[in-house]
Amino acid sequence: MINLTVKIGGEAGFGIMTTGLFLGKIATRSGYHAFEYTEYPSLIRGSHNVVGVRISDEKTYSQEEKVDVLLCLNADTYKRHISEMKQGGMVVYDRDKTDINSIKDENRADLVYVHVPFAKILQEGAFPTVMLNNIAMGALMYLIGADFGILKNLISENFIKKGEEVINKNVNASQMGYDKARESDTEGYKVKIPKKESISSRMYLSGNEAVGLGTLAAGCKFYVAYPMTPASALLHYLAAKAEKSGMVVKHAEDEISVINMALGASWAGVRSMVGTSGGGFALMVESVSLAGITETPIVIAMVQRPGPATGMPTWTEQGDLLFIVHAGHGEFPKIVLSPGDVGEAYQLTTEAFNLADKYQTPVFILSDKYLQEGKQSIDRKEIEEYKFDINRGKLLTAEKLEVLPKGGYKRYLLTEDGISPRAIPGLPNSLQQANSYEHIEDGHTTEDAQERIKQVDKRNRKIRTYLSADFKMPQLFGPKDAELTIVSWGSMKGPVLQAMQDCGNKFNYLHFTHLWPLDKEKVSQVLKSLRKTLLVENNSTAQLGQLLQMVTGVELDNKLLKYSGRPVFPEEILARIKELGIG
Amino acid sequence: MMETTNPNVFAGYFPTWCPGCGDFGIWASIKGALAKLGYSPEEMAVVFGIGCSGNMNDFLWVDSFHALHGRAVPNAVGIKIANHKLPVLAIAGDGDCYGEGGNHLIHACRGNHDITILVHDNRVYGLTTGQVAPTGLKGFKAKSTPQGVIEVPVNPVALAITQGATYVAQGFAGDINHLTDLIVEGVKHKGLSLVNVFQPCVTFNHVTTYAWYRERLYKLTVQNHDPKDMKKALDKSLELDAHIPIGLIYKSERPTYTDCLPQISKETLVDAGLGFTKDDSSAMLQKFVPEFL
Ligand SMILES: Cc1ncc(C[n+]2csc(CCOP(=O)(O)OP(=O)(O)O)c2C)c(N)n1
Ligand code: SF4
Repeated sequence: MINLTVKIGGEAGFGIMTTGLFLGKIATRSGYHAFEYTEYPSLIRGSHNVVGVRISDEKTYSQEEKVDVLLCLNADTYKRHISEMKQGGMVVYDRDKTDINSIKDENRADLVYVHVPFAKILQEGAFPTVMLNNIAMGALMYLIGADFGILKNLISENFIKKGEEVINKNVNASQMGYDKARESDTEGYKVKIPKKESISSRMYLSGNEAVGLGTLAAGCKFYVAYPMTPASALLHYLAAKAEKSGMVVKHAEDEISVINMALGASWAGVRSMVGTSGGGFALMVESVSLAGITETPIVIAMVQRPGPATGMPTWTEQGDLLFIVHAGHGEFPKIVLSPGDVGEAYQLTTEAFNLADKYQTPVFILSDKYLQEGKQSIDRKEIEEYKFDINRGKLLTAEKLEVLPKGGYKRYLLTEDGISPRAIPGLPNSLQQANSYEHIEDGHTTEDAQERIKQVDKRNRKIRTYLSADFKMPQLFGPKDAELTIVSWGSMKGPVLQAMQDCGNKFNYLHFTHLWPLDKEKVSQVLKSLRKTLLVENNSTAQLGQLLQMVTGVELDNKLLKYSGRPVFPEEILARIKELGIG
Repeated sequence: MMETTNPNVFAGYFPTWCPGCGDFGIWASIKGALAKLGYSPEEMAVVFGIGCSGNMNDFLWVDSFHALHGRAVPNAVGIKIANHKLPVLAIAGDGDCYGEGGNHLIHACRGNHDITILVHDNRVYGLTTGQVAPTGLKGFKAKSTPQGVIEVPVNPVALAITQGATYVAQGFAGDINHLTDLIVEGVKHKGLSLVNVFQPCVTFNHVTTYAWYRERLYKLTVQNHDPKDMKKALDKSLELDAHIPIGLIYKSERPTYTDCLPQISKETLVDAGLGFTKDDSSAMLQKFVPEFL
């Protein structure tokens, strides 16, 4: 079995991020699975960037802690990551720039060192420093036996707008990298990834891109945001596609404006979405409650990063679950969905828009930096063959409004399922008031006790309707009757499934995607049926654990919590289950 | 659009404002303006802020969105982007629009969004019982500033002109006909219109009363002002004391925000969205999946 992790590190400005994308795509196009995770500080230049790509012929659910090939574009990369090397791993470096002997770890005689004269190549070819990435990629192609033609294609695709000359220059740079690596080490690394004979068609994309694709496919026409890592890439993706897709993408003056513009557009009849991270979302909270009482659909992509306050902007955490579940003053229904991988990110995004329209209330896509900025290869079918309807719920068409008696439309009509027919302003017979004050059926303000109770009950009935019609129970992965069940949510699906694959299915996994509201009876039943449990979360206070306990009263036995700003590694899960006597 | 509608089609509940409140005059002017424009109550969208001003939501029967305190402007911008064929009016208080939501005003002006913002400038927070508003005169004493407010008032007219609004007018709640015309022209104007309306609050503001304004206000005409000249308009915006102008202060032409969006030149976003089917969904994937292969 092939399992290869390559880490490439250097200063910002070397084009490190592109090497990750290229390597992931080369692996994917060669018929392998790939998983990429980048680590970078919240600075623009002169800082350490590193990208890790795991390549395997089995499905890659997450990165691994240990590294096969470390490509050092500076000495810092070596110092920071040498401790992560696997036995017999390979270090690629430039002897002319980095005096490895003076910093060499004496205890790691097992490592193989390969010198590639990056600086000299730059000089000889008169290449600018930004092309260091393609030189490095060329060298790597040789060392891991990958198909150089695919790299050439990627370079052409990447620079198609810049013309032949730029393409050729970059291809030459990588060719020189390739040749010099061969001169230095004819054997290359022991693990190779030649292009496979038959290749199933896979996509390689990030969580942000998957949510973006879902947004386009769901017919969302208005996306508003204020830049905030790690949600900015979603803004950038959609903004780049706006004209071609017919969508309007607005960078508004602040997050309060962001959500209020989206609510205005949604009330006017357009599927609307906002995206942000914790701090930006904190500014939106009052308006989430506005969406609740005015019953205006809205999809909120909430991409977590470690807080509090500015926290660690470019790192990862699952620290906002309870904040999101409880966000907004007053009581109103709210739906929280959380994808575990890029396939789910796409699928749940399309579902979020349907649910927002159906229940006329805020719907969250709650994810984190690890999923949204990480890239994964997935089967195209997970996106292209995923079937869904465009369900706009009880949105009234002009024809339906016409047949109502004149002035007979009631925006907040009391109904059995709690959902009132929705008319959009500007249509004949749509006369209505969406009201942030408590209101009677026709939208006029009220402070009457009975009317208040009726509207609160009506809104709350939407929760009941959702639980019976659209709530999805957590999915169980792995053997049905395992001795141990890991319980988790969101991006932790990756490391958990990776650990499961790596240990040969010694446990099973209960994965929550539909986090709020929860069906008390059904979820209690499942939790009570489990034998030994291990809760895995990327936070310090076991927020899913708390939520489950609040709803069901069940407390899970064991916990693995990580809150260093880094994702959980499968190795850490395997170590923990060993402690629990499994495996 | 119809000829002229009957202003009474816009009447909702009878207002709960204090007898004599300037809001009655503004209410009459808005109804009159909508009638003059020939709109039916479903041919436009009105967003209300929160305040005595915003309470008009129940007294004016039109397609409306009663927003949060301070947020009427971004809601109005969103509605306009969604359906740029729909006339959009935002009605707010001075606390609402110049305090809590001040940032939104600046950026709405920059975007020249084709909406009309009408602000009830009573220099106090009426609904929360009379604290000083951002337009309150320096030294104004109220419950939250018993020693007199230290800050100087904001200058909404100068602010709007300098930030990119293309129609800036000032009216008086005590002159309904004059105000009606300013609103009509503001709504007709393509671009961001701000109509700042001096509104006596008979309960909490005993300084800037009807009489105070009547002594000071004078009307701008073609004879005494050229609203196309930004420098002259700024001069007018600085007349805040002995003589205060009402009328059209500044007007210019600039493409609106939605004029600059080629993707909605053929149909509004609402229409595009309402017509969106499963087939369009597949077409989106066909267009946007290949880059990930
Ligand atoms: C976020 C928020 N803060 C405070 C309030 C309380 N509040 C309601 S209206 C108002 C001020 C009203 O003053 P203004 O906007 O000038 O309108 P007026 O009542 O004078 O017409 C305040 C502070 C609120 N509703 N929401
Ligand atoms: S408090 Fe002032 S602004 Fe409010 S209704 Fe009374 S007079 Fe009008």
